[in-house]
Amino acid sequence: MSGLSLQSVKKNYGATPVIHGVDIEIEKGEFVVFVGPSGCGKSTLLRMIAGLEEITAGDVYIGDQRVNDVDPSHRGVAMVFQTYALYPHMSVEQNMGFGLRMNGRPRQEVAARVAEAARILQIEELLDRKPRQLSGGQRQRVAIGRAIVRDPEVFLFDEPLSNLDAELRVATRLEIAKLHRQLGGSTMIYVTHDQVEAMTLADKIVVLRKGVVEQIGAPMDLYDKPANLFVAGFIGSPKMNFLDVTVSDGSVVLKDGSSLALTGTTKAVPTVLGIRADQMRLASAGEGAFSGEVSVVERLGDAEFVYVRTAWDQEIVVRVEGGSNTPVGTTVGVVLSGRTHFFTGDGLAIEGLSLTRN
Amino acid sequence: MAAEAVEGIRQPLVTPRVRRWLVSAGLAAVCCIWIYPLLWMVSASLKSNAMIFANEGLVPSQPTFENYVKAWNQANIGAYFFNTLFVTVGSVAIVTISTAMMGYVLGRRRFPGRGLIFALIIFTIFVPQGYTIIPVFDLLTRLGIGQSLWGVMLATSGGSFVIFVLLFAGYFSQMPNELEEAAKMDGVGFVKTFWYVMLPLSRPIIVTVVVMQTLYAWNDFLLPLVVTLANPAIRTLSVGVYAFKGENFVDWGGMTAASTITILPVVILFLFLQRYFIDGLAGAVKG
Ligand SMILES: Nc1ncnc2c1ncn2[C@@H]1O[C@H](COP(=O)(O)OP(=O)(O)OP(=O)(O)O)[C@@H](O)[C@H]1O
Ligand SMILES: [Mg+2]
Repeated sequence: MSGLSLQSVKKNYGATPVIHGVDIEIEKGEFVVFVGPSGCGKSTLLRMIAGLEEITAGDVYIGDQRVNDVDPSHRGVAMVFQTYALYPHMSVEQNMGFGLRMNGRPRQEVAARVAEAARILQIEELLDRKPRQLSGGQRQRVAIGRAIVRDPEVFLFDEPLSNLDAELRVATRLEIAKLHRQLGGSTMIYVTHDQVEAMTLADKIVVLRKGVVEQIGAPMDLYDKPANLFVAGFIGSPKMNFLDVTVSDGSVVLKDGSSLALTGTTKAVPTVLGIRADQMRLASAGEGAFSGEVSVVERLGDAEFVYVRTAWDQEIVVRVEGGSNTPVGTTVGVVLSGRTHFFTGDGLAIEGLSLTRN
Repeated sequence: MAAEAVEGIRQPLVTPRVRRWLVSAGLAAVCCIWIYPLLWMVSASLKSNAMIFANEGLVPSQPTFENYVKAWNQANIGAYFFNTLFVTVGSVAIVTISTAMMGYVLGRRRFPGRGLIFALIIFTIFVPQGYTIIPVFDLLTRLGIGQSLWGVMLATSGGSFVIFVLLFAGYFSQMPNELEEAAKMDGVGFVKTFWYVMLPLSRPIIVTVVVMQTLYAWNDFLLPLVVTLANPAIRTLSVGVYAFKGENFVDWGGMTAASTITILPVVILFLFLQRYFIDGLAGAVKG
């Protein structure tokens, strides 16, 4: 197994820059997830690693070999496509063995490797079927099987779960995590726009926006210490609440004039206070940092998301225990009881600043 | 409320079932008029020359296969049949393989001059066959096959070439990129990807092209007429049937028998392949 290294990689389509210089280091055996909103360049980046797109500038190393000009099939990578890209006229077995057969591997070797992959993925009984006779989840496995058969150094997945229904997506997500361990920890790069998939699968998350890396780190690092507003808003569900604030001698002042004392010192001037839904409590009106009116309650069973409309007409979401039965329309106070994040006007996170507990 | 609503619905005069029957009957009648000449031909081929104009209706009173035997042996229709078969099979093979390859490249690859090539080959559609026949004949003569079945085969391959290239190009261009990319990741080269992945997937178009080229090659008249003018032994069926028409006398029985022999294989082919054929054309229209 090999690690991977991208060094100031750029991509232009014609005159349009799409990837603006990306540096990523990936260790051997790591499970790395590229995550970001639609159109940010995740697929493009993955396809450059695969060799399906030319690299405009910068270098890609797999192991210690520079692969910019190496043919895709010689890079030791295998790709699982979002649409599976199974050959419709071939059986599952032929699909998985196609590459090996075409490259002149002996029949027995092909059969053995296909059988082994089928065993790992538990699709032995499907080997004679055509792709159209398979369910979405089964096609997904076959597509993964086709990758496994090649015994690659690096697996590339481009949104492999997006064509599955919600339940199957969760199940297959688990399967992929298991697979990663089962395959002796091969290096895997996985593209998704779903931050839940990123959080659950990744050893390391790369957050991309508009062709730029916003932050790289372990899932909980990104969750606890987002480097900027974008990452803070992108990672975690529901989305982090952002409150505009101004600073006046050691306190931040919310839009309704309520003032909260700060602990810690920094030269940077916070203009946004970020706080996650589970870091707040509801209290009776008048208590807490500010008050608002309950506009919607989403019941998830174990928890409820209470949407509170503030005096300055912003909707804040607060997570409370399930069964709280907060009536819509009541006025409640919101206590900022937990971890807060502060950001500058440029959207960068400010370290070492928190609200004073009282 | 409910009663009013029911009253508001107008009851049709005939049920959908009856209407379907009426429509079918009407279409069958039109169809009979349409294929009457064909029926007359088959019927005449089973009658003696004297009986053909005896006004006895379509069903022959004394059916005879004499015309067929005569046509097959004396009029050389047997030999012409195999000439035609040779030309047709050969040209279908040439046309299917080469148009698929051209269509694949034109449909899927972006290369400099692609637009120009498209424009040029489409332009050739507008040149009528009559004007190309002499250059084609000249070309065949220079190649040394102006007097042979190989020449007929090669020249016949040019007939609807452009249309077929466009059919393939349209079909291949709408295939998902991922299939080729998957093959590329697997280390499968351009030619093998075409042969093992793309060609099998284009079966509807292949069938369409095979059927249409078969029809064209089997029925083509002008070109084989010109090429075989000096060499009656290599006539094809369409030219051979024409030879029944003498200066003063037309052997209607022989001619209709020969015509029936000519048409039968085409009809059988169509019956077998019509489903794929129609799929292919429908697919091409959609694309
Ligand atoms: N062939 C192309 N020509 C020109 N622009 C392209 C091409 N392919 C992609 N782009 C542009 O590059 C950008 C990145 O595309 P990419 O497919 O990598 O996005 P993505 O992050 O994978 O999005 P999604 O989550 O929707 O798949 C997009 O703005 C897209 O419009
Ligand atoms: Mg994508």
